[in-house]
Amino acid sequence: MNARNRSTDLDLSRWTRRRLRLVGGALGVGLLAGVLGTLLGTALLTDPSVARTKTFALGALCLGLGLLGWSGSVFAGPGIENMHRHLDSGSDWSETDSRRAMARLGGFGAGVMAGVVLAAQVI
Amino acid sequence: MSTETVDGRTDTRNALQRLRASPFLSELLSNRLALIGIAIIATMVAVALYSRVTMDVGAISASQLSNNPADQFLSPRAQYPFGTDIQARGIFDRVLYGAWYAMQFGTVTVGSSTVLGVTLGTIAAYYSELTDNVIMRTMDVLLAFPSLLLALALVAILPEEWGLWRATLALTLVYTPRFARVVRGAALKVLEDEYIEATEALGASDPRVLVRHIMPNTLAPITVQSTLNFGLAIIDLAALSFLGFGAEPGTPTWGIMLSQGVDQGLLSGYWWWSFFPGLFLAVTVLGFNLLGDGMRDALDPRMREAVD
Amino acid sequence: MISRRFLLKRLLLLVPVLFGVATFVFAMLHLAPGDPARLIAGRRAPDAFVQQVRTELGLNRPVYVQYGEFLLDVVRFDFGKSYQIQKGAPVSEILEARFPVTLELAVLGQLTGIALGIPLGVLSAVKQDSLTDHLTRIGALTGISVPIFWSGPILIMVFGVMLGWLPTFGRIATTYTYESVTHMILIDTLLSGNPAAFVSAARHMLLPVLVIGIYSMALISRMMRSSMLEVIRQDYMRTARAKGQGANITVMKHGFQNALIPVITVIGIQFGTLLGGAILTETVFSINGVGTLLVEAINNSDYPVVQGTVLLFALLFTLVNLGVDVTYSYLDPRIEQ
Repeated sequence: MNARNRSTDLDLSRWTRRRLRLVGGALGVGLLAGVLGTLLGTALLTDPSVARTKTFALGALCLGLGLLGWSGSVFAGPGIENMHRHLDSGSDWSETDSRRAMARLGGFGAGVMAGVVLAAQVI
Repeated sequence: MSTETVDGRTDTRNALQRLRASPFLSELLSNRLALIGIAIIATMVAVALYSRVTMDVGAISASQLSNNPADQFLSPRAQYPFGTDIQARGIFDRVLYGAWYAMQFGTVTVGSSTVLGVTLGTIAAYYSELTDNVIMRTMDVLLAFPSLLLALALVAILPEEWGLWRATLALTLVYTPRFARVVRGAALKVLEDEYIEATEALGASDPRVLVRHIMPNTLAPITVQSTLNFGLAIIDLAALSFLGFGAEPGTPTWGIMLSQGVDQGLLSGYWWWSFFPGLFLAVTVLGFNLLGDGMRDALDPRMREAVD
Repeated sequence: MISRRFLLKRLLLLVPVLFGVATFVFAMLHLAPGDPARLIAGRRAPDAFVQQVRTELGLNRPVYVQYGEFLLDVVRFDFGKSYQIQKGAPVSEILEARFPVTLELAVLGQLTGIALGIPLGVLSAVKQDSLTDHLTRIGALTGISVPIFWSGPILIMVFGVMLGWLPTFGRIATTYTYESVTHMILIDTLLSGNPAAFVSAARHMLLPVLVIGIYSMALISRMMRSSMLEVIRQDYMRTARAKGQGANITVMKHGFQNALIPVITVIGIQFGTLLGGAILTETVFSINGVGTLLVEAINNSDYPVVQGTVLLFALLFTLVNLGVDVTYSYLDPRIEQ
């Protein structure tokens, strides 16, 4: 959409590396949360599959929201910015910020899901 | 409020005193439309309390066919000002009692989303950029969803047995982002003021700063946002009831009465089944919108832009 | 103009959108309290049937295996089959019949909203603070305050029952037969070459479209007013207005085009709200579209149908926003494509 985006577009490796760093951190945190959540749930609940399912579903919820928010901010970005500007609200919403935060949220969700799979293998 | 907060001393006064000292109230009371709004809301609250105290909800929910079978489908008349329905129940009493449901569940919805929103918004404003970004952008995604569709998605994952509470919880979650955003915007403006830095330098801890300085100063925008959303909450609650995700059929809520009126009464010409509950609903919503708009205009311009 | 690269990039966005919605609806089913198989089979279904549903949908396997299979099914546009509403019918078949109905209603409603909202917004801005302005703004506020499930019944009562000018429910008088090709009734009746059937369908469509149109008009006129006011306040517009009529028309045209840009971007987002309005409108006018389908499916916890419907809504929303993008970059040459 904007000039910044296009120039990074050309340099694929740098583009990928920056995105990976952004999502990677969240992914790691999510992985940890997923493993811990599953183990804790398994210890506390009588049915281990319930712990797995619910943790996995919560991760999926984050991933789903993150993906929707990410693509939503890309394709509806100008619209959301205009709406905030004209229907008098002093929000500082910006497409870039939103995309980054959504990438983090999605990464976290994916991490949780991966964590559940990992924990399930260990158990 | 803006000039008083700078020196930090005034914050030891309670919220009511500061409200009285601010031009907010006098400005609001000189706005004719806002006064009409206040009058409407006061009337509805009185009606709600009156029906709650004097009426027996079991009696107006139950079918009256066995008691007076001839009184089915009556159009409005002296004995039944709003007519009767298929089960010979007087619609007037039911519509009045609907005000109680609207006020009660509207208050719960708006109240709990305010508490959640204030917590999230204050945390977002006060802590690191990462926390802020993740909280607020998630709120933005939720905000971007049309409220009814998001509420339906939430209703689908909540247990059906909760009845009207299911709709209330779903709407609470739907409305939380609106409060979070307003509170964050207002809190950031307070934080810009130097006195917070000064208080922190004196060794005040985080929670203390939050509770003593930020929360009192965001009170006005929160009140405006709550008022504006109260009307919307009543509509959305009724919409969920109308679609069958609210109270049990037969309960005298406006949404249920509208649903029954449209399903069974409309094509047979029993317009009063749906007209009167809808009228009360629309007037109540208008009251909250008028008051909310008036409050927003009366608000300190610095805070005004934070409110939708 | 639009480059192919831009269009391709936008179409590629459909992948994360659909992946996101699929993940979201998958989470919905597994977060719902209780046993998913029991939910889908129905509260009062016999245990044997619940067991059958469990094996059929693979609900006894680990959750991540289910997720993978679910994604594969979505890619193949296979949403499974309905267990409650239309027992055994494939979800894709149900959607195919119902979706065009909603599409027709929503698009016509949106067009009505645009056709009413833009002129009203411009009028309101040009005659700022006049009586016209106040009336328009009060009209817009009323459009927001009055719920569809009250304005709809009143219109039905007045024009359908009391005056008898318009039909009250359904999509066409039962006396007409036509072949369902597209499932969009206006197009189908036109294709069948029966003008009387077309008129009947159009008369049935009028009230629902109007109700949705007024709903969407409220926001569009508010946006248009604000955006137009901003443009009018700019220097070149002020000078032109001061100079008098001659220069006025060309400049107003230019100003209008500039003011239109932000409004168009908002129409895309607002389309989601309009879909919510379509659900209520379909319920009021007993129209069998995806809106009533979604309500019915949630009420019966027919999750395969819920999942299919939500995916379709997201797809439609994205496509409308793609259309908005195209219009937008056409109007605003500064945008890179």
